[in-house]
Amino acid sequence: MQIKRMIKVLSAALLMSVCLSTQAQEAAPAADPNIARAQGMIADADKARKKAASVEGEWRDTGKMLKQAKAALKKGDHVKAMKLAAKAHKQGVLGQQQAMDQKALRMPSYLKY
Amino acid sequence: MKKFFQKMALLALAGGIAISAQATTPDEDLAAFQSFFKNRFPDVTMEEYTNGVYSIDPIGRENWEAIEEFPPYEPFIDEGQAMWDTPFANGKTYKDCYPDGPAIKGKFPHWDKQQGKVITLPLALNQCREANGEKPLKYKKGPINDILSYIAYESRGQVTNIVIPDDDPKALAAYEAGKKFYYTRRGQLNFSCANCHLQNAGMKIRSDILSPALGHTTHFPVYRSKWGTVGTLHRRFTGCNKQVRAKPFKAHGDQYRNLEYFLTYMSNGLPLNGPGARK
Repeated sequence: MQIKRMIKVLSAALLMSVCLSTQAQEAAPAADPNIARAQGMIADADKARKKAASVEGEWRDTGKMLKQAKAALKKGDHVKAMKLAAKAHKQGVLGQQQAMDQKALRMPSYLKY
Repeated sequence: MKKFFQKMALLALAGGIAISAQATTPDEDLAAFQSFFKNRFPDVTMEEYTNGVYSIDPIGRENWEAIEEFPPYEPFIDEGQAMWDTPFANGKTYKDCYPDGPAIKGKFPHWDKQQGKVITLPLALNQCREANGEKPLKYKKGPINDILSYIAYESRGQVTNIVIPDDDPKALAAYEAGKKFYYTRRGQLNFSCANCHLQNAGMKIRSDILSPALGHTTHFPVYRSKWGTVGTLHRRFTGCNKQVRAKPFKAHGDQYRNLEYFLTYMSNGLPLNGPGARK
């Protein structure tokens, strides 16, 4: 009889400890890795934008996209932030590439000298 | 919208053929540039190009001629005259900076050996203001357009005659930088100034006809109906760059001043007829 009671008390204690540890985990959630990822993507995209600007190849909307990405992240919408940062990064890379491809002046063939 | 981008892409493809630059002199550039338009629009006289798109668009021209009966830029000329005549706080006026003014537009842009850069008229006016303890004017909108309108009006009939002095290699370098800017594709739409206003001048872009580059600099500042006011050449450069989705440069920064130097040189021989009115 005593053994049965002891088993009951022990299982109740075990159950309580499991519940408490779960609650503790919920109270202090681990940092969302997506936020850090979005921050990294924004920083990379800004680097690409600056590289494009350094060769006079920055596109019109890249800076705007980055601002929007930062605002989205602030609101907790990391999906939107990452999407915008990826777009801005692509624009930065392409803008730089476009400028480098035309480093040398190429006169159009329709001008007759 | 989709159609617009398709059109832009087609135009971009059409302009895809380019040849590497041989070393050409400014005179050779000028001859090639002007003969391109002579061949493209054989019935248009050189002087007509000072009227921009209305030299090649007869329907738009009718509207423009009606607008010119009561020129929308007139109040700006009057304001500009008042600015010219009103002394600065130190008692001096613009006339002290430019004794042969106000008809001085024909002297700009020019290469300034001492400053080592192209000096445009708005930059010169601001340098005058600053030398007299006044705040510089903003370069795209506002009162700068008043005084520019007045000076342009007083300078009507002067002939564009940009000189690239031989005694300073930096002058030719500035011209070359402007030329490079003009033929460089930029922005998300991958267009150069030349793609629209040289190669495709006279073609339609949506409901508008692309104006010929020849004469582009003769009639600024212009009253644009779209703006509802008078604006500067560099405001227009900014707009063009934005339209091809490139980040515009600073008005009267190196890029646009050099561009103005090159572009004005390409209109050498054409009379000044600013201020103008445009759609």
